[in-house]
Amino acid sequence: MTGFILKRLLWMVLTLWVVFTLSFVLMKIVPGGPFDRERSLAPEIKRNIERRYYLDEPLWKQYVRELGNVARLDLGVSFRLGDFRVSEVLAQGFPISASLGIVAMAFALSLGLTAGIVSAVRRQTLTDFSLMLVATIGIALPNFVIAGIMIMLFVFLLPIFPAAGWGTLGHLILPAFCLGAPYAAYIARLARTGMLDVLSRDYIRTAYAKGLSSRAVILRHALKGAMLPVVSFLGPAIAGILTGSLVIEKIFGIPGLGIHFIEAAMQHDYTLAMGLVLVYTTLLYTMNLIVDISYAYLDPRVKLE
Amino acid sequence: MKAAIPYLVAAAAIAAMIWAMSFGSPPPADFTFCNGEEIKTVAPARVTGAPEGRIIRSLFEGLTRWNAETLKPEPGMAESWDISEDKRTYTFHIRRGAVWSDGTPVTAHDFVWSWRRFLHPEIGAEYANEMWYIVGSKKFTSGKVEVGDPVEVELKEKAEGGPEHAAGIIASGKLVAIEDHEDGTIYTVEIDGRARRFQENAAVEGTEAYNWLIYDFRQVGIHALDERTLEVTLKHPVPYFLNLVGFYPMSPVNRACVERHGYPAWTKPENIVCNGAFQLEFRRIRDRIRLRKNPLYWDARNVKLETVDALAIKSDTTMLNLYMTGEADWITTVPNTVISKLAKRPQGDFAPAPYLATYHYIINVTRPPLDDARVRRALTLALDREQIVRDVTQAGQIPGRSMTPLEIRKYIDYDPPQCGKRNVKEAKRLLAEAGYPEGRGLGKVEILYNTSEGHQTIAEVIQAQWKDALGINVGLRNQEWTAYLDSRQKKQYQVCRAGWIGDYVDPNTFLNLFVSDGPQNHTGWSNQEYDELVKKARGEPDDKKRLDYFRRAERILMDELPVIPIYFYVSTSMVRPYVKGWYPNIQDVHPLRAIWIDRQQKARVFKEEGLR
Repeated sequence: MTGFILKRLLWMVLTLWVVFTLSFVLMKIVPGGPFDRERSLAPEIKRNIERRYYLDEPLWKQYVRELGNVARLDLGVSFRLGDFRVSEVLAQGFPISASLGIVAMAFALSLGLTAGIVSAVRRQTLTDFSLMLVATIGIALPNFVIAGIMIMLFVFLLPIFPAAGWGTLGHLILPAFCLGAPYAAYIARLARTGMLDVLSRDYIRTAYAKGLSSRAVILRHALKGAMLPVVSFLGPAIAGILTGSLVIEKIFGIPGLGIHFIEAAMQHDYTLAMGLVLVYTTLLYTMNLIVDISYAYLDPRVKLE
Repeated sequence: MKAAIPYLVAAAAIAAMIWAMSFGSPPPADFTFCNGEEIKTVAPARVTGAPEGRIIRSLFEGLTRWNAETLKPEPGMAESWDISEDKRTYTFHIRRGAVWSDGTPVTAHDFVWSWRRFLHPEIGAEYANEMWYIVGSKKFTSGKVEVGDPVEVELKEKAEGGPEHAAGIIASGKLVAIEDHEDGTIYTVEIDGRARRFQENAAVEGTEAYNWLIYDFRQVGIHALDERTLEVTLKHPVPYFLNLVGFYPMSPVNRACVERHGYPAWTKPENIVCNGAFQLEFRRIRDRIRLRKNPLYWDARNVKLETVDALAIKSDTTMLNLYMTGEADWITTVPNTVISKLAKRPQGDFAPAPYLATYHYIINVTRPPLDDARVRRALTLALDREQIVRDVTQAGQIPGRSMTPLEIRKYIDYDPPQCGKRNVKEAKRLLAEAGYPEGRGLGKVEILYNTSEGHQTIAEVIQAQWKDALGINVGLRNQEWTAYLDSRQKKQYQVCRAGWIGDYVDPNTFLNLFVSDGPQNHTGWSNQEYDELVKKARGEPDDKKRLDYFRRAERILMDELPVIPIYFYVSTSMVRPYVKGWYPNIQDVHPLRAIWIDRQQKARVFKEEGLR
């Protein structure tokens, strides 16, 4: 297992390098730059600014410089948020996106798993149909629509929650719900499929034949197997949810990584965009690794090598 | 080990939940407003932009400050000033008792040092050109030197015992020779009667390394005569110079603070030293900036707010939500789609005010058929601006037939010359005269705009107006911001949307755009008489004559029409009526130092609207 992990870590370094190179090239070939304004700058001033950020150097030199900095884990100063180093932006934004993500995920998992399992056990009943209908709607509705409805209901109609911002528990509930809803719906469907698949297996029949109660069969024997599709979905989903939601953070004015992601891309903030892409890659890779390892636990047939 | 995994996962999940729900949050501020985008920095020298301005103006104060109501310059860090006969030399007397937030006095040397820093090529200040009115400053910023120039060399070595982030030792002298060398140019400078050779990295033997070799700052017209006297010499009279020294990028910064911490560390709340009405207390990126009253500010007794929150909210819908729930007292813009509804609010808190900005179309005059002024005039005469402001923009924008907004009349003695009112008959006649009767043979005219619903609707309306009135086929092309700027600069367009916000209340900020070699002139239009008038106006000490030159220049512009003015912007702020000391004005500037809250009225409003 140690060998497996080491090998994967080596691949991660390689992946990061490829991602870095691709992002670098993409950022440079997109027309425009971080200092484009409707007001054209005087050539003297433009030159001074470009020199300050090394934008006057040939591309390969910029590439080598950037790669060297990243290799030393120095992500530099943000172009657009000039008072902060990229590491500071990440350090401030990540905990915010992460707490939002954790609450959203907890919510999505508890609701999604319950709904999925209940649906599977009571398959072809009214409960099953209505739960799956709600889940389908949850997947189909984009979360900004859910957010709009929630704001109308719980901010204006029933003024329970604040409209936007960050800092109290009240600020967390609505965005976490809106962020978690599509995930809950997805998990419900996956859990249902997984459960149905497992319930038709021989070992479940054996368990019933032993005379176990259906509660014990489902919780002790079936659930573990039914979790497999959910777990493989969870890996990338957690990476995504932790690094922030672009839409939800914007609507609710939450200063997480998602907002930084859009803004950095829109404003050609080269350093911040690069930092975010690399962090996201690392996280995604790590989550996938954890998923692979957890497979070995959940499914005895899987061997890590 | 395997059996423990579910418990570990559960424990981790619970720990994560507990962590996710733990917050540290400051209590609400006395006054909260939505500041738009997250600001780029609180360092005055490096910025442009309205959100930055609102913060920096509160943290720092220049020689003058702008009156909250009229925006006229009034004594700030300078308690008085003398202006020479030729209006080219300003002598500022620094306020007795003005101190930084660390208690040290503000001196004339602070301004010399800060302005030097502002103009220095290393900083890359975007607004540096605003200071180029000062003798020698442009040359200093450009970083270019010629043989014979007085120059200063910043060496790699630093003064011993100095602060960590101070600049290197500076040696000044006369540049006597420039040699090209394959390892980099070698400069020979005569310093104290001795010729010394410099090359950037000292790659050639016998040369010294340096950080910067630029025009000598001592030759720039900024001098401290003593601790409290600052003398500034201009190239030509600048009637709005007193406004300019109150403009936020020209604020001083604290040398000791900057040199001790370096950038960006000096801008942190725990390090920053400022001289304005407020101090920086707390910052959360893309969330809020918490300001607290500066007790050492010279006019602190007239600053009523103890704490202010500036929220970094970009979405105008979110802004409106915060305003409606009473979480923000002032929002700087509102969503376009609800403007007509907001205008009908019984509270009357949405009152758009004229703004010093013009929405216009620029025309590429280098390509036929629009190289013919008669065609441009016909297009202008066929416009129905009333329809655009009534049906599209809806916030009370003023139809514009001049480049300089008409509202400027209320501030200075300048009545902008206008182009003709809508007159379809005359437009048709002009078009026929130019050889395109009923628009025949004219081909297709294309309007370029940057992608935005608002710009698109306006372009569609104008498309229909030109088609109906003149029979011209109009195409529309939208591009993303950067691509649009690129097309504009390369003149790859026929007609192109543009907007311009005046930097100061003077026609120069609008008319200067269209001089032949101007960096903002993307029309290809060039008129010698116009150039001369604008140039003469800039050098004219007599205000009446000066404005007369501008009047004649704008008359030419409005006859030749390389630009079609469409409307003048309005500011779309929304302010709660209990916010006092907030005055609508032409530059949409509302200093926080003047604002106060009528608490009784606030309680009443909140009760009426059922807010908490």
